Amino acid sequence: MQGNAQQVAQVAGGEGDELVRRIGQLTRTLRQSMREVGLNKEIEKAAAAIPDARDRLNYVARMTEQAAERSLNAIDRAQPLQEQLGREAQALDAKWQAWFEHPMELDDARDLVMVTRGYLQNVPALTQKINAELLEITLAQDFQDLTGQVIKKMMDVIHQVEKQLLQVLLDSVPEGRERDEVQQRLEGRFSLGMVEESRALTNGPQINGDADGVVSSQDQVDALLDELGF
Amino acid sequence: MIDKNMNVLVVDDFPTMRRIVHSLLKELGFANVDEAEDGQDALGKLQAGSFQFVISDWNMPNLDGLEMLKQVRADSRLGATPVLMITAEAKKDNIIAAAKAGANGYIVKPFTAATLEEKIGKIFEKLGK
Repeated sequence: MQGNAQQVAQVAGGEGDELVRRIGQLTRTLRQSMREVGLNKEIEKAAAAIPDARDRLNYVARMTEQAAERSLNAIDRAQPLQEQLGREAQALDAKWQAWFEHPMELDDARDLVMVTRGYLQNVPALTQKINAELLEITLAQDFQDLTGQVIKKMMDVIHQVEKQLLQVLLDSVPEGRERDEVQQRLEGRFSLGMVEESRALTNGPQINGDADGVVSSQDQVDALLDELGF
Repeated sequence: MIDKNMNVLVVDDFPTMRRIVHSLLKELGFANVDEAEDGQDALGKLQAGSFQFVISDWNMPNLDGLEMLKQVRADSRLGATPVLMITAEAKKDNIIAAAKAGANGYIVKPFTAATLEEKIGKIFEKLGK
């Protein structure tokens, strides 16, 4: 039994070496022929789009996280105020209920009226605070616009990469039915000019505020406009 | 003093952003706010109605905010309408181009409620002079 296993391993080992050698040869041939027909350029282009796409996705992840945190923080601040309003109203109502059931002396009733008035005077300040938190939650939703623009850009990039990969495929598949299919796919998906050329002044949100020619805050916008005399 | 009853047009292709700006304006006391989804839609509404103030995004389909601004400035009836840009476009070239085209203010997204209030105040303070 043990002898047999050894034999099998030896044969497999020998064949394995041969296989590795052949794969190596094929890889070299492939690389050479790719260089000859210029495919490596296409692949390089596709690969170059990836780091940029990663930065964009990072931006989307960061913005959505910030928005969620901002909303949840506002809710955390608003909830106790809301609860306070309800709790105090309930307590007052219970006291009034008791008073209606057993009307008390005028002096005690006077206290109750004063406490009630104090509560009522406090309500507008509290609702104003709650309102401010609701507005904060509304504002936090601005991430949807910013990430939406970045995601649209990403879709353009993915489109380009797909186009380049299909081009590589087209150039490396021998003529025949398979090649026709790739050709059709390429034409079908890109003939309509779906990929918009990026225009000089519509770039969407800046992923990196430190980049050249980019402002990273409203203060910088204001300073630039001042400088220009506007 | 700003007339809070003036008609304001908010132009943005993202419905969420339109709602945000709309809510902020309501909070600031502006009672008559209308919305348009791109420059083309906005020009139509501006020509059909009487708006005293426009708040516009830049990057929009059909007609972008800068093009819309230029067409507003070129229109004899609409030409003097104040236009505030609120946009994610944050290149210096953008700000310069908007200022040259006659924008009355420029806010870069993301922005705060305080910034919006301050810029609107500034625009009408300047116009009142």
